[in-house]
Amino acid sequence: MNLGPIDIDFLLQILPLLLKGAVLTVELTLLAIFFGTVIGLFVALAKISRFKILVTIGGIYTWAIRGIPLLVQLYILYYGLPQIGIELSAPAAAVVGLSVCGGAYIAEIIRAGIQSIDKGQMEAALSLGMSYAQAFRRVILPQAYRRLLPPMGNEFITLMKDSSLVSVICMTELLRQGKLLSNSTFRPMEIYLTVAAIYLFLTTIFIYLIGRLEKRLAISDGD
Amino acid sequence: MIEAYNINKRFGNLHVLKNVSLTVKPGEVVVIIGPSGSGKSTFLRCLNYLEPIDDGYITVEGRPVGKRKLPDGRLVDDKRKNIYRLRSTIGMVFQQFNLFPHQTALENVMEGPVTVYKTPVQEARKKAMDMLEKVGLADKAGAYPAQLSGGQKQRVAIARALAMEPKAMLFDEPTSALDPELVGGVLAVIKDLAREGMTMVVVSHEMGFAREVADRVVFMDNGSIVEESTPQRIFSNPEHPRTREFLSKILA
Repeated sequence: MNLGPIDIDFLLQILPLLLKGAVLTVELTLLAIFFGTVIGLFVALAKISRFKILVTIGGIYTWAIRGIPLLVQLYILYYGLPQIGIELSAPAAAVVGLSVCGGAYIAEIIRAGIQSIDKGQMEAALSLGMSYAQAFRRVILPQAYRRLLPPMGNEFITLMKDSSLVSVICMTELLRQGKLLSNSTFRPMEIYLTVAAIYLFLTTIFIYLIGRLEKRLAISDGD
Repeated sequence: MIEAYNINKRFGNLHVLKNVSLTVKPGEVVVIIGPSGSGKSTFLRCLNYLEPIDDGYITVEGRPVGKRKLPDGRLVDDKRKNIYRLRSTIGMVFQQFNLFPHQTALENVMEGPVTVYKTPVQEARKKAMDMLEKVGLADKAGAYPAQLSGGQKQRVAIARALAMEPKAMLFDEPTSALDPELVGGVLAVIKDLAREGMTMVVVSHEMGFAREVADRVVFMDNGSIVEESTPQRIFSNPEHPRTREFLSKILA
């Protein structure tokens, strides 16, 4: 069966393999979101802390990671580090690369979110006798969550798309699976269109989930 | 109750408090008036160490604020824990209310006791309801700040501070952000507190309120206390020309 130049039967034949790649893409993305968010939270707190040294380290981290292409970072992690005796497996290098990169952007999102909360909120919390930590946990972060969600959603989608870059370090995720198939079958049109459709499908699910979360938080915020 | 000796405070090159000294006795109501930028709000915020002072000495119930005396008489920065404890015993009410927008009125009032005093939730809720009743807002317990008027917000903020059972209250221009018709309700609550004997320091532009409630009125200008006296004397016969000038402008 054909649809214009696209052979549907062939497409159905390759789909299972591509979906296998897609599973790896989702796994990589979820790991990167998790570790990236953890890194991002700590770096954000470092950057707004009272300690100069933490502020500096956080600043250098976000500056360097955001200023170097992820592709170059991945090359350094996977091909560069073995030269000085640090060998990362491809999956490890992929997760580290994506998390560290995502963490830098997420740190900036969280920092901006926290700093957007009115200073009076911290003062009110402190005036009740709360410690900084208590004020953060009980007053600042709950308000920051909601403002963080839209930019965080963007970042998660970016991470999912950027995960395609790890195909250059031999991770057979969605894009590399497509490339391998294309090399062996010489049908790039069907294959890459399908790859694109799968990415679009995945990001759409993400956008939907984040949208629902936003709505729920809006309700619990009472306005 | 509260004593401040020779407080100095600078923001960069700006000398905002110059040798400010003030003593507040238990149960006394002190109203601080003065033009904007005179340092009165900053001074108030120094009293519970929201602003660290550069120089001078503050005690609350004899205990130094933010600083600790070493055996050799030197003063060093106090442990954070002690500062937190001090703040829990002094209630503060802000011009912009600063209610927690993600919590209901009741939750706002419960927050301090639950988080700071570790009061059991049931008990804190009951107490919070009592406080809301005291400020006349028991029926708004479930409302979020966004659903309240400015005056209601400020009354919830007062209830929130009272829930900590403070020994003294600081009010930083509590009615300045309110529509005129809402000012009275908030002042009435503060007057009630005065009648109950609460020690209070109030920064305010409400001269009628000062005249009625204050035991003492302090006029600040340009980072210094220019004059302090009973309300009768300061409003009818101010000693200092700057006080006279200020009052003539504000009462005109």
